[in-house]
Amino acid sequence: MSILQKNISFDALVVGGGIAGGEAALNLATTGFKVLLVEKELSIGGKMIMLSKVFPTLDCAACITTPKVSEISRHPNITIYTSSEVSNIDKIAENNFEATIIRKPRYVVIEDCTACQLCEQACPVSVPDQYQYNLVGRKAAFIPFSIASPKAAAIDIDNCILCGACEKVCPTNCIDFTQETEEIQISVKTVILATGFKLFDPLLMPRYGYGLFKNVITSMQMERELAPTRPFNTVLRPGDGKVPDKIAYVLCTGSRDASIGNPICSQICCMYSIKQSQLLMGALPMADVTIYYLNIRSFGKGFEEFYQQAKGMGVNFVKGKIGKIRETENGNGNLILRYENINEGIVKEAEHDMVILSVGVLPNQDASNFFKKEELKLDSYKFIYQADSLISPARTSIDGVFVAGTASGPMDIPDSILSAGSASSEAISYLIQK
Amino acid sequence: MEIEKGKTFKYLREKRDVPQKVKDQLKEFNRIKKAMLDALKESDLTIDQLTQKLNMPKPEVVYNLMSLIKYGFVQSGDVDDMDEYYTYKLKK
Repeated sequence: MSILQKNISFDALVVGGGIAGGEAALNLATTGFKVLLVEKELSIGGKMIMLSKVFPTLDCAACITTPKVSEISRHPNITIYTSSEVSNIDKIAENNFEATIIRKPRYVVIEDCTACQLCEQACPVSVPDQYQYNLVGRKAAFIPFSIASPKAAAIDIDNCILCGACEKVCPTNCIDFTQETEEIQISVKTVILATGFKLFDPLLMPRYGYGLFKNVITSMQMERELAPTRPFNTVLRPGDGKVPDKIAYVLCTGSRDASIGNPICSQICCMYSIKQSQLLMGALPMADVTIYYLNIRSFGKGFEEFYQQAKGMGVNFVKGKIGKIRETENGNGNLILRYENINEGIVKEAEHDMVILSVGVLPNQDASNFFKKEELKLDSYKFIYQADSLISPARTSIDGVFVAGTASGPMDIPDSILSAGSASSEAISYLIQK
Repeated sequence: MEIEKGKTFKYLREKRDVPQKVKDQLKEFNRIKKAMLDALKESDLTIDQLTQKLNMPKPEVVYNLMSLIKYGFVQSGDVDDMDEYYTYKLKK
């Protein structure tokens, strides 16, 4: 690792380049402050940029995210470090933080890459594409996804065979295998934590058969199947390429379940499942979609109408708790859901040919490790503690450090953007007052 | 060593070895790719037919076939009368 003591100064450090971090950075930058936006992935845009559509308006997620991401990328007051992580942040005094950023090599000079994809075509390697949730492969020299920002290639060095095929075809000579990990020291006056959330890993619930039965997928995998930049030509079962006909959603997978350590509601899984069910009925008009739920929490503006609209379209809602999922014995890849029908008070079984697990939201605890001298408090569910959630929702336990979006708890996209607005306002106030 | 622009992979090749697992994965992908493209050269096939021809598990056929579509070697054809299974053919 090359250690660069760059000692660059910014007004604000925003950790996390998802929709909340991006919005907060943009607000600060538009007000005239210099911002460093640090994102661990190869592209900014977070989870939202990977979605098909948003609820309850069914607006195209990419159509909303892309202009925003483009504005963030082009703003003269915003510097973006992708493939980078914060290693530590020390508060020296009020309005004075020192942070260390670890910048991993992309092995491509972003400014010189034209995203021509010739390197991708030349690369002989194929590995699972993490941006398509492993439904399809990608090359070791690759552009993360079509609307990535920065839209530039990257080399997956762990899977690269160092054949040089990418370099040979690159018309701008932008591939550079001499790049090394950099450690960069920066000083900032305020910090916004927008580290987002993690999705529940359904492998932790083996009774649902995820990983074992290929036609049991997660809601994010279905999100990709429904997106315009989808991995397959249409919605297909990953187990055998069949167009599914009887599709089941299992709500509250890994949320509202104390037995797996996450007793809280994810706030989004009801509505994104209802959204996907409507999109599925559009994509596959003959399909039967059943949603197994504990309670439908349609609490936001237009949510109840959206739920009723799904019912009107023919989505079948069953109040039932799924006990176990198993594959049929005849080898057709269909799945038997054993569940308690809560309204009837009896245990039933139903056959479906594809099951989508609507996975819950978990805290991303990365931010708590940034601070060595001060304590960044977490709440009882391990999200970042809001010191005054009513009057000053972005304040954390450290003065000058603010929280935006789902880093403080589960919320949907509009609430994340509102939260980012709150965090940037409070950060601006802190910058001006001190 | 002197680093020539456009041949920087040589610099990294001096510094690190390619893990055997990565080499094996490439060999396996090339084997599957060749087998699939050879099978599709003969006729358009469904995933079920490819599975039988290649003697591979269906999920692996789906994954690799979809990857070959993404890489521009294969394209999807018509769906069957039951609207369940697509045929796949070589991209010309």
